[in-house]
Amino acid sequence: MRCDALEPLIEAIADGTHDVSADDRAHLSSCPVCSARIEEARRIEQWLSSRDVPMPPASFTASVMARIGEEKWKTERAVDIGFNLAIAAAVIIILTGAAGAAWSLGFFTVAIDGEALLRAAVAQVEGRVISQVQSVVIGAVVLTMALVAWWWAEAATD
Amino acid sequence: MKLTSEHELVERCRQGDETAFRELVDQYKNMVFGLIGRSVPNRSRAEELAQDVFLKVHRGLPYFRGESKLSTWIYRIVINALSQERPELAARSIDDVDDADDRPRHQPAADDRAFGDLVLRDRLQKAIERLPIQYQVLINGHYMKGMRYEELAAALELPMGTVKTHLHRAKRQLRRLLETEFR
Repeated sequence: MRCDALEPLIEAIADGTHDVSADDRAHLSSCPVCSARIEEARRIEQWLSSRDVPMPPASFTASVMARIGEEKWKTERAVDIGFNLAIAAAVIIILTGAAGAAWSLGFFTVAIDGEALLRAAVAQVEGRVISQVQSVVIGAVVLTMALVAWWWAEAATD
Repeated sequence: MKLTSEHELVERCRQGDETAFRELVDQYKNMVFGLIGRSVPNRSRAEELAQDVFLKVHRGLPYFRGESKLSTWIYRIVINALSQERPELAARSIDDVDDADDRPRHQPAADDRAFGDLVLRDRLQKAIERLPIQYQVLINGHYMKGMRYEELAAALELPMGTVKTHLHRAKRQLRRLLETEFR
């Protein structure tokens, strides 16, 4: 069947990239199925060629740059947090190591009754706190407010 | 874009020059947005995807070795973005498309030709959105000013000589979709 043989060539004929033989041309002009296919393929071709290309908005580049800035800032922040945590961990390790070394060398050994000393210290702190409750509460409130203000400022800059 | 200037632009971008990256975006935004916008009809989603493409370009530039052209690399990122957007259409590579049955399931009727141009455009747009992603990129890219066969072949990883064949297959599939599912 010539129709079957021509079917895979319809698009190439429609866009002009396939040379049609005289026999095929005669068939195409007389066969309603093939001529309908060619016509449909030509309409598709015409539509594809005349299709509008969607254009980006004028603000496109600025939006991309803003997203890149945001991403960069997030990365830097993650690096900062990581760095701070690493420093804190290093300080803790150094202090623990130094304390361990000092303890093993016997620097912490003192010739006094530790328990009695601790009890006396607790009693002294209790006495001071009870007599200064008002000042301690005011101090705690001021400290809390300062921490809240700091947290708010950090959140606002995010 | 000449290779030297492309190389310079990439180098400047790598050194963190924001102006250079802005230039790069300006240079490719129409192509990227055009390709995506033709496959994704929702404009705001298309814009978001196009922005994502440039974010990926920005992240990937330090690893871009220049083995392919910058444009080829960017178009591959576009193809990946579209494939992630429509995974069901990305699953089939264009080599897998069954071309054995060349017989259309329905012969075009005379009534089809009576459809108005607007109706045809709407049907065609819907039919294009149903094609495998690689066929969509092939059709959308081919009929876009400034996009060359070589760029399409490289982006789709197709031998140069087969682009035309694949393009005809893509259009045939489009015609079949119109004859069957989008009548």
